[in-house]
Amino acid sequence: MHAKRLKYVAILIITGLCASTAQAVKPTTNRDTLTEGRRIYEQTCAWCHGIGGEADGPAGWFIGRYSSPRPRNFLKDGYKLRSTASGDLPTDQDLFTLITRGIPGVMPAYRALNEQERWQVIAYLKSWNPAFEEEKPVPLTLPQAPSAPTETAIHNGRNLYVKYDCRVCHGDNGEGDGPEATAGHLRDGNNLPIRATNLTDPSAWKNGASAHDLFRTLMTGLDGTPMPSYANEFAGREEALWELVWYIQSLSGQQRK
Amino acid sequence: MTLLAVVSTTYAVSVPSVEAIPAFARKYSLNCTACHTAPPRLNTFGERFLENGYQLPGTEDGGITGKKNLGDLSLDDFANYTGVRLRGNVLRGHQFKQQNPPAAEAGVVQNNVELGFPEIFSLFTAGSLTKNIGFFAELESNLEESSTGIERAFVTFNNLGGTNVANIRVGRIDPSATFSFSTLRQQLEFVGDNLNPSTDTVQRAGLFPLAAAAKFYGLRNRSGTAISPYAPSLYNAVAETGVEVRGRPFGDWFMYQVGVLNGANEAFGDSNKGKDFYGAVRFDYARAANFSASLSGFAYLGNSNATILTGTGQADVNWHRYGIAAHLRYNMFDLYGLYTLDRVAHVPAAALSTFDTSASGLSVALDTYVTDRTLLSLRYDNMDAGGDLSQRTSQSFAGIQLKQYVRSNIALFARHDLNLRRAEDGSAAARNLRQVFFAGIDIAY
Repeated sequence: MHAKRLKYVAILIITGLCASTAQAVKPTTNRDTLTEGRRIYEQTCAWCHGIGGEADGPAGWFIGRYSSPRPRNFLKDGYKLRSTASGDLPTDQDLFTLITRGIPGVMPAYRALNEQERWQVIAYLKSWNPAFEEEKPVPLTLPQAPSAPTETAIHNGRNLYVKYDCRVCHGDNGEGDGPEATAGHLRDGNNLPIRATNLTDPSAWKNGASAHDLFRTLMTGLDGTPMPSYANEFAGREEALWELVWYIQSLSGQQRK
Repeated sequence: MTLLAVVSTTYAVSVPSVEAIPAFARKYSLNCTACHTAPPRLNTFGERFLENGYQLPGTEDGGITGKKNLGDLSLDDFANYTGVRLRGNVLRGHQFKQQNPPAAEAGVVQNNVELGFPEIFSLFTAGSLTKNIGFFAELESNLEESSTGIERAFVTFNNLGGTNVANIRVGRIDPSATFSFSTLRQQLEFVGDNLNPSTDTVQRAGLFPLAAAAKFYGLRNRSGTAISPYAPSLYNAVAETGVEVRGRPFGDWFMYQVGVLNGANEAFGDSNKGKDFYGAVRFDYARAANFSASLSGFAYLGNSNATILTGTGQADVNWHRYGIAAHLRYNMFDLYGLYTLDRVAHVPAAALSTFDTSASGLSVALDTYVTDRTLLSLRYDNMDAGGDLSQRTSQSFAGIQLKQYVRSNIALFARHDLNLRRAEDGSAAARNLRQVFFAGIDIAY
């Protein structure tokens, strides 16, 4: 009985500590938070995203030049990299992860900003879009991967890759050279030409390269690009989606992570 | 024809898709264009990265990315701090108005077409050692000049006294690195002049942003070696040993810069009797609309930083320069220009009748992407030369270059430069260069 009480006390203390830490790291949105977020934004982000967040920063044009990607327009663009359903806003954690990890090739990882500063910037970015006040984005629930991939599962994944026309953009071998891509038909939400991701080069995958990252990307799609969400196609068939994930990973010789 | 041949060949061999990540970009997992309009030209983000001592703008990252203990260092980590660049001409053709004029070195001033190997190889290592302490070292080998050595090498101490209040560079520095017109960041590469070693006369004009050039004939450094009128110098030197402080204490719109250099126009060492001083200010607008602009001004005050020959020997002179520069960038356009005015003071009275103590120069350049992978560059250069009146030869050149990016770090280019001063035809060798064709390659990794 005594041990049980101690256990409850320990849990309460740990929970309390976690809660207070989280509170300290992620500040509440108030005028001070926004002021500090704005200061950081103008010194770090505005070069590409523009002082008003309209994707028109002085350095932004050169990232993709006449092609995608361009910096995000925080006032009107959808968010590509999310854990939420297609068309939804990202969660705060999605934005935090994005700032922390960066985007390979186009946006540096801002781990040099401390966590509080990253949250302050996020609060400032969200202040431009009133939808963040109205909606409470909910991340999709991602199931745990079943057991390790087998040859059969990867073979099944290949069949799904063909069935769902992934090769039309990504190419037969995943090298981003599908007929739609090579014909230059792919366009992003700004009508700029966009390349299909080379699935044999995980280091360049913008939404992460782990099996879970891939699963999430297939479920959420990348809004504002030709990459759709496959959530409906695979509803109730998550195991099949894992097979597709494993096949995609096999294109680069990557092991399940 | 050369332009067409190079461009069509480039298209034929172009390998789209994979974006390479050379040099600094490896460390931050970014494409070159995150910092460059087109290497070596920097965009606004790249300029602020440079100013912040190779740390992300607005941060004091101290090389946090990829930093490991010494025992865990791998070749990949080393690559995050090291880059190489190979560039130069594989084909060049000179055309002269008058073949081998009097006083010309035999075989130099005559039409020719040469094949070669890209003549400049640079190895540079740079980054941040720890929070707010950065470093840069560049080793350059130039086949044309038969030289190999440390080009620039310095240490930076950043954000002293607060964010962007004071950033210090110590070592062999290029003073104009953060000016609106950076000497070293040109799409039309330097092409050296040709001096007759025995007479010190210019045999063939150099192709260079002439506003940044020495512009004086008959000037010598304190070791007695002739200074080419086409050599980068003073505030626009490629490298001089010294220390400078700069910052933006009042916000992004204003930058100050003050520095002191040995300034004796010598490759290394300090035989100068005094030091040279410079100060610069820069006003910036860089907020939105895919637009940025800046206006800069500098004054460089030399102190016994050159000599001239008199009837009885050498005399020290003070060589000063004043300049203004501006840049405008809008979408694919990058326009930048520099005007300089040089003065040589303390010229002995006996030499004043044969020595023009003032010179000026103007350089204006425009780079623009005409397609996703094709960069068109234009530059106009004018030099109203000063110095020894018997040699003095002013120059105006117009250059055009088409650069085709096979990959983001590999480019082929074709270039044509034309001497615009046809009215000054004469027997001086320096005036005889009519036009030049180049085709070459620029690789950075």
